[in-house]
Amino acid sequence: MIAVAAISLSACNNNDNQSKETTATSGDTTKTGMQSPTAETTSNNPVNDMVAPYLQLKNALANDNSKDAAAAGTEVQKAIEKADPASFSADQKKIFADVKDDAIEHAEHIAANANNIEHQREHFETLSKDLYDMVKVFGTSQTLYQTHCPMYNNNKGANWLSETKDIKNPYLGTKMSTCGEVKEELK
Amino acid sequence: MKKIGLAILIVLTGIQFIKPARNENGQASPSDISTTISIPSNVQLILQTACYDCHSNHTNYPWYANIQPMGWLLGNHIKDGKAELNFNEFGSYSERRQQSKLKSIASQVKDDEMPLASYSLLHKNARLTKEQKALIIDWAQNAKDNLEQIKP
Repeated sequence: MIAVAAISLSACNNNDNQSKETTATSGDTTKTGMQSPTAETTSNNPVNDMVAPYLQLKNALANDNSKDAAAAGTEVQKAIEKADPASFSADQKKIFADVKDDAIEHAEHIAANANNIEHQREHFETLSKDLYDMVKVFGTSQTLYQTHCPMYNNNKGANWLSETKDIKNPYLGTKMSTCGEVKEELK
Repeated sequence: MKKIGLAILIVLTGIQFIKPARNENGQASPSDISTTISIPSNVQLILQTACYDCHSNHTNYPWYANIQPMGWLLGNHIKDGKAELNFNEFGSYSERRQQSKLKSIASQVKDDEMPLASYSLLHKNARLTKEQKALIIDWAQNAKDNLEQIKP
């Protein structure tokens, strides 16, 4: 159910792909139906540069280490600012234009709040959505897992991207490290 | 000792002439938040009295804004506040950023991070009651949920 909601959300940012994605996933929404368009998965995918520090950030939060999280936040910000849309396809330009300012702001706040891990986590939640939507359009060279924690934010729940199926919860940290489940595999 | 006192006096007098540009613009903005998000009038009133001094293009300056370095301090707050969130330019943000801002409004008010303690100390009007806080939080969360749903 959540996977379907996520799919429709990302499709909304990306109307041109909507019909394509819907047909691709209508048969099977739980497994790897969501292949990113192969033509767009080139070797110099700027999203790879954003995902790498994002994963460091995720792991720092999972370890309750707000200092490392702040440092990784700075790297995420740099990677987004560095991306040059000149070589992007129309779909990629569109999602990047939508995400850019928002994601930079979240990364900035994470970088600026080395003493406030809960605030970092609030921004991490939205940053995770921004990056998920980017990965959906740009693809990823590294297999990623969209993971869901139902308990965060008074049981409203939140998602994150992980490089592994092993759950290490970045929202609840070491207290509830294994809370969460993989919802979708992205590759 | 007298010389030092005199020097301080001269500096304090001197800086009175260095005034930051005022944040005052009476014109209605085409990208004001009210053009994209519906705001009940009671919420609008709270936003205007407790938030707009630093989060809009128009500040109601207190008397001490004319005294330096208080005026500079205030000027910096306003500059930072507007960079984070400007209700008069809210409509120009990407839809994604609008949602993020509404989320932050709710959480900052909930966590008593906003209005800034140093601000509400001097501005009685900006001290929000429990009910006023609840109004803002509910409005911001609903507005965010609506934005998410509107997406085709």
